[in-house]
Amino acid sequence: MQSSTLLKFDEQLYSVEAIQKAAYRSMQYLTAEISLKHHHIECILTPNIGIGTDSFLRGVEEFKKHVIDYQLRAKLKAESEPLRNLVLGIAFSNTGLHSGE
Amino acid sequence: MVGEHLILPKEKIAELINHQIKVDSKEYVALRSKHFIKEPNDQSPIDLLALKLRTKWARLANFTNLHIFVVTLRCDHSCPYCQVSRQSGDKGAFDMTKEMADRSLDFVFRSPCLGLKIEFQGGEPLLNFEMVKYVVLEAKKRNQTLGRDLQFVIATTLSLLTDEILDFCKIHNIFLSSSLDGPEDLHNINRPRQGKDSYQRFIHGLEKARQVLGYDRVSALMTTTDKSLPRVKDIIDEYLKLGFDGIFIRALSPYGFAIKTKKYMSYDADRWLEFYKEGLDYIIELNKSGTRFVEFYAGMILTKILTAHEPGFVDLRSPAGAGISAIVFNYDGSVYASDESRMLAEMGDFSFRLGNVIENSYEEIILSDKLLDILEDSYTKSVPMCSDCAFEPFCGSDPVYHHAIHKDVVGKKPESAFCKRNTAIFKHLIQLMRNDEKVRQIFLDWAYKC
Repeated sequence: MQSSTLLKFDEQLYSVEAIQKAAYRSMQYLTAEISLKHHHIECILTPNIGIGTDSFLRGVEEFKKHVIDYQLRAKLKAESEPLRNLVLGIAFSNTGLHSGE
Repeated sequence: MVGEHLILPKEKIAELINHQIKVDSKEYVALRSKHFIKEPNDQSPIDLLALKLRTKWARLANFTNLHIFVVTLRCDHSCPYCQVSRQSGDKGAFDMTKEMADRSLDFVFRSPCLGLKIEFQGGEPLLNFEMVKYVVLEAKKRNQTLGRDLQFVIATTLSLLTDEILDFCKIHNIFLSSSLDGPEDLHNINRPRQGKDSYQRFIHGLEKARQVLGYDRVSALMTTTDKSLPRVKDIIDEYLKLGFDGIFIRALSPYGFAIKTKKYMSYDADRWLEFYKEGLDYIIELNKSGTRFVEFYAGMILTKILTAHEPGFVDLRSPAGAGISAIVFNYDGSVYASDESRMLAEMGDFSFRLGNVIENSYEEIILSDKLLDILEDSYTKSVPMCSDCAFEPFCGSDPVYHHAIHKDVVGKKPESAFCKRNTAIFKHLIQLMRNDEKVRQIFLDWAYKC
């Protein structure tokens, strides 16, 4: 059985939040220790008890996909915020409801 | 984005991007007439685009139009792919009460939408027809002072239609939406009931309903099972034989009993696309030979691509139509963001349950974090791969599907069968139009009529 895997992410390209979300999402396969080291975000991924090598490797693969996914989601969410708020504002414009109430 | 399109050779696209397209070329004229090019002093392209965009988005501000009342989960059929129905004689356990119906109607009339559609679903709603009658009469009574454009639809197998039910439907102008999966043998296998006569009952009900309500007051939907796959032409021929003017070729949804009975796993997106394309080819040939017959999913997409109108199909909107274009009042008072949401709940997943009409106010439900998060997360311009997809203006979100399959309302689009199916259909439709002028004319006809 594989013991653990070390992954390094350039902190200029990835946020800690994206990596934390990815780690959370992958918790059925593995646990992640996340730390900052020399402009990198390091992740030590360890298989959960009872998780075999194949499942763990699949979990690592999924973890990497999740990191990219969450990183891009955060970026796009920020970039599209004005348009998104406009569209949602139009949707609720005739309801007489205000989320601040 | 607003119904204008142009297909250009790749080298012309490069010229367009690099501002090198010649002003005396035919492409320049076409691009400018469709507002892709704006000269420095032009104002009209922006005004025209803005007008078309407002037309496209007009439906958004209407808010909730479709209100689904699940009046019972009881059903006389036991379809293996059905998401929700129950074989139960216990009326109390699975029927909507008057109190729930009243509270649900309170919600219906809180929507600012001028046109309100109330659709009765089940199970088989005719098994609780007293509740259907109650809701129709009560809604019309309330509407005497409110003056909305009320529409009623009953989603029914037609198997339990009686003269009394039809008379009521006639008086109140109720539309019937039914199900037909294909020729007799296929329909009876897909939709079993005691007596093995679901097809005969459908035919009998269809004839009676058309006589009383009018030919165009009954529609039918089909569902694709593994047994449908080799028989798309038979299915279409059946619709033609029965005088329908089109068909909606639908894939199975990954909810409820379709998952439990493993029906959903019986074919993948590629196989469904093969089935869909074969059916579409056949329908196009029918149209070319003079029989006007529409594939409604293609028609709805073509309306998005070729016109400034938004057909409002709930499963293909951004943000998703959850709550803001459709809402479901379940038999037990629960409120769900969409029909699929309550199907998921029948599997024990209550992620899209927004509240309960007895316990929660309209404000609590419509402004709930749960609904607002779904809407925010389903806005496709904020989603990786959707945000820079050429087909994004025609596409939408299906948060319930992605939650069911990917355990996340956004999902990962490269792995999403929803994305694969829809992008393949967009490409296919555009390719067909590009290769054949006759097909383009047929598609334009569908686009403006769907």
